[in-house]
Amino acid sequence: MSDFIVNWLANVPAFALPYALAALGLIITEKAGVLSLGAEGFLLVGAMSGIGVLLGIGDHPALALVVAAFSAALLSLVYALLVVTLRVNQVIGGLALVFLAQGMTGVIATRAGWTNRPVDGLQPVPLGGLGEVPVLGPILFQHDILVFAAVPLVALVAHVLGRTMFGLRLRAVGDGPDAADAAGIGVAATRYGAIALGAALVGLAGGYLSVGVAKIWVEGMSGGRGWIAVALVIFARWQPWRALAGALLFGGIEALIPRIAAIGVALPQYLVLMTPYLATLAVMIWICLRHDGTSLEPRALGIAHMREERR
Amino acid sequence: MFRPFLTTCLAAALALSPALPVLAAPFKLKGEPKVAMVIFGQKNDGGWSQAADEARVKMEAGLGMKIPAVDGVKENATAIRPVVELFIKRGHNIIIGTAFGYSDTFKELSEKYPDVAFFNLSGTTNGPNLESVYGRTYESQYLCGMAAGAASKTGKLGFVAANPFGVVNWTISAYELGARKTNPNATLNVVYTGAWNDPVKERAAAQALAEQGVDVLGQHVDTPATQIIAQERGILGTGHHRDMREFAPKATICSSVWTWDKFFVPEIKKVIAGTWEPAPYGAFITIADGGTDIACCGTAVPKAAAEAIMAERAAIIAGKHVFAGPLEDREGKLRVPAGQTLSDADLWKMDWYVKGVTTQK
Repeated sequence: MSDFIVNWLANVPAFALPYALAALGLIITEKAGVLSLGAEGFLLVGAMSGIGVLLGIGDHPALALVVAAFSAALLSLVYALLVVTLRVNQVIGGLALVFLAQGMTGVIATRAGWTNRPVDGLQPVPLGGLGEVPVLGPILFQHDILVFAAVPLVALVAHVLGRTMFGLRLRAVGDGPDAADAAGIGVAATRYGAIALGAALVGLAGGYLSVGVAKIWVEGMSGGRGWIAVALVIFARWQPWRALAGALLFGGIEALIPRIAAIGVALPQYLVLMTPYLATLAVMIWICLRHDGTSLEPRALGIAHMREERR
Repeated sequence: MFRPFLTTCLAAALALSPALPVLAAPFKLKGEPKVAMVIFGQKNDGGWSQAADEARVKMEAGLGMKIPAVDGVKENATAIRPVVELFIKRGHNIIIGTAFGYSDTFKELSEKYPDVAFFNLSGTTNGPNLESVYGRTYESQYLCGMAAGAASKTGKLGFVAANPFGVVNWTISAYELGARKTNPNATLNVVYTGAWNDPVKERAAAQALAEQGVDVLGQHVDTPATQIIAQERGILGTGHHRDMREFAPKATICSSVWTWDKFFVPEIKKVIAGTWEPAPYGAFITIADGGTDIACCGTAVPKAAAEAIMAERAAIIAGKHVFAGPLEDREGKLRVPAGQTLSDADLWKMDWYVKGVTTQK
């Protein structure tokens, strides 16, 4: 039993990290008042370009992750153009982007022959004796670099959003773009930046999915995880630390499911596979019911900003 | 995704229609034979679709003609119709589809174009000029189960599967029957991922099984992730769809592979000769006729076991049925009485497992 728990906990970070990174990215974007439903698409773009680097350039997982983040950021500029400059409905724009990314990654990866080709990918950081420590070793110290970077990254995003001038401006744009505009903050520029930065993190999550976890690319491999990240942000009330907690919850469930089956506990499989989604719904309902006015939801979320628009 | 679903439909059709549709004369092809293939996934997907495309290339050699193909044709009428109708317009009169989800559209098209012969891999619809085709995958998976049982040191085998449908359930039970043939104490622990093509979930399932001391991993999912995990962890695996030594040369000891060309070359020759009569409930073909076969065996399989596997393969070709009675399910209920074999209808709706199999519900 203790082996089971150790194995399970040791596997949680790898499953939680894509959710944590993606949710963190979405928080940045949405804090600037831009709804981001495109996460599933950015995940795919990141996952595919990460594998593309490994297969096309060589075995450089760090470079692969950077390119994954960069490609998603690049694609997000299309989204930014649509929803910030052209003021297209952000729901429609986000959905269109997902479909675009699904088709595009399919075509590119197929033509390039990247499908189903295993890579070595990201390996655990060698920490010598630490990884050998019983119980704590596998749980805490046998991970890759990105897992270790996750907590500092969440701290950084929380700090930047909450405690710096840049964060204040970004939040001002998300809460009251008109006031921010009057105060001399460039609303469009801030939103472009927030979209690109957010997409880079989601792209990184996608890159991690293929380069760090699956170590293979197949079409559509994000498997709905982008949508869970979207829900996770609402779940976390747009707060980075809560997003990390939520990601750990979802990662924990995802790592637990096959392990319960593997030890021979005969639970109804469809019910088990449903649990992450059930948890999402449950938390959203719970949050709505205990609505206490402390929501950190950006007030201008999803609303295109038009200078001096009459309301 | 699609393959497994022949299941209930076929079973229902068998149960509900005592009056067989009377198929008149054999199908007569008009004009020069021209074959074309419509492929569900990407033709380099490493699995199902690639197996179909590889068969296509062998068919070109076997039939001495060019066979054009379109890949990535999704399972809806708006995707399928234009492709098929363009082929027909260009004079193609033998069309091969490759997806469960093509069934209804192929039925409509076969009625609209009675002079064109239609085939559909893993389809469920049939007619005077339409035949669905599926392989008896339990035969090849039974043989791979024998390899797994022989190569396993712990006797604990694992299996990563997509969803508990008849087609998947029969591979699981056959795998365990095969494993017990070479290792009477072998057990099989199955993890369903609920998805055909999710390498993250497949990896998690394979890892969880390996943690439980499983030392051979079988699979009935579409990506090679299971085999790759086996290789990473220094254990063994058996593949599905194609020879998965391509992805895990050290780990993969046996693969259940599609051999569609073995079926289609003679079948299309029949169409050309004017003697083809589609099977009323589709062609459900054995190793002998070219549904599936095995790529076997890796060095981890002892020589005697490899010979036993080939002997069983020969016996299957000679008519041996994998699910021959007396056969009990894991609850101890007699499913196949002595002297009988499991009928096709019961295969398609198989919702039970033989002893030694552990699954989710």
